[in-house]
Amino acid sequence: MSIAAFQQPAWTVHTEVFDGPLDLLLHLVRRDGIDLRQISIRRIADAYLEYLDKMYEVHLGIAAEYLVLAATLCPLKSLEILPRPPTDASGEEEPVDPRQVLVQRLLDHERFRQAADQLDQQRMLGRDTFAREPAELEGIERPLVAGIDAFGLLDLYHELLRKRSTPEPTYDLRGRGPDIGSCVRRVVERLGGKGGRAIFSEIILDIPTRVERILTFLAVLEMARLQWVQLEQKEHLGDVVLVSQIEVDADLSVVVGRIQMEGGE
Amino acid sequence: MSGEVRPFPGAPEHEVSPELLGAVEALLFSAGHPVPMVELALALDQDLQEVGRAIEVLGWKYGAPDRGIDLVHVDGGWQLQSQPRFAQVILKLRGGKPLKLSRPALEVLAVVAYRQPVTRHEIEGVRGVDSGGVLKGLLDRQLVRVSGRREEPGRPLEYATTPDFLRMFSMPSLGSLPTLKEREELMRDAEPEEE
Repeated sequence: MSIAAFQQPAWTVHTEVFDGPLDLLLHLVRRDGIDLRQISIRRIADAYLEYLDKMYEVHLGIAAEYLVLAATLCPLKSLEILPRPPTDASGEEEPVDPRQVLVQRLLDHERFRQAADQLDQQRMLGRDTFAREPAELEGIERPLVAGIDAFGLLDLYHELLRKRSTPEPTYDLRGRGPDIGSCVRRVVERLGGKGGRAIFSEIILDIPTRVERILTFLAVLEMARLQWVQLEQKEHLGDVVLVSQIEVDADLSVVVGRIQMEGGE
Repeated sequence: MSGEVRPFPGAPEHEVSPELLGAVEALLFSAGHPVPMVELALALDQDLQEVGRAIEVLGWKYGAPDRGIDLVHVDGGWQLQSQPRFAQVILKLRGGKPLKLSRPALEVLAVVAYRQPVTRHEIEGVRGVDSGGVLKGLLDRQLVRVSGRREEPGRPLEYATTPDFLRMFSMPSLGSLPTLKEREELMRDAEPEEE
């Protein structure tokens, strides 16, 4: 067998009816009319193992997940068969019945299968109903209702780096180099006071070195957090526009102080 | 579509000027996506209550049998959508297939919707099968997003639903998800049937 065979992701067995071991177990419980309150692990484990044997017989590959559940059931079964030690009346906490854990899992599984059915019955845009795409307009920049989040900004940043094809300039390794504080300062100056706007991609692309680009990205995140800038995006994956909420001569020491403090830890 | 209740059951109690009704309809039609009532009020320079009444009247009018569009409360706003009963003819006209979510996708989406923020491990605990691929598909379709990291060993990613999720299922907010069946209820359902 080649090594590649071992590197395949875990198989998923899709028989006609079952999507995974919990589905199978649930089916067996229902089929045999087992009362979940009085569940007999022995019965259910035997039925489950028997079914796995059947699957082997018809040469179905059995995914590891099925075996994991089998391995969980077997010790539960032996616990059930063995006589239980008399319960200590002296107030020691009774251990959680392992059967209850299994029953809870099964019920949870069932709940979410039903929840999935309910979702499927919801009115679905693109299946049951249709809405219009708004006509394109020139020059509108409206903030997204939810605003762009940090992950959206990160995606945009990576996209920019990918687009940028010019080679990296050589670095001057002397000196302390840039820090976030100076990047914040630079962005604030570029925005030019309260209400000033600049396009995020242009700010980033104008910066020569990768280090400073990363620091500027972090600086913008920090400024957004402090609500020094408002981020606006006209459309999904569109340019992000920074709108300054502070004046050029505002006190920026908060961010500088914080970054240095964290660096010193 | 089971159990769906029209939000505009009876005739509205208040009179609204025809001009305002027309304006609200025009705004919603041109926007396409859901528009919050506040934005309508700002654009029309009207107070919220009046716009609310206009929405109510408009929604009620769309309930008439000769109308093909519907006013729906989605993701905190109001949106015009075609009525579900015309889905087939619309698909025929547009020559496309209806959007479909696979069974595993629906299950993962259900777990994320009800348990958010939730980790991949928790999703797989409920489903009993590897859900990485399905989760990635939902992330790509922007129905699910990474909402943060759980403060526990390994700092696993946490997932939550997006506004697109609400929009896809025409829900005003997460509060309008149908309630999950209680475990006790399922227990009763699971009782062996008498034969």
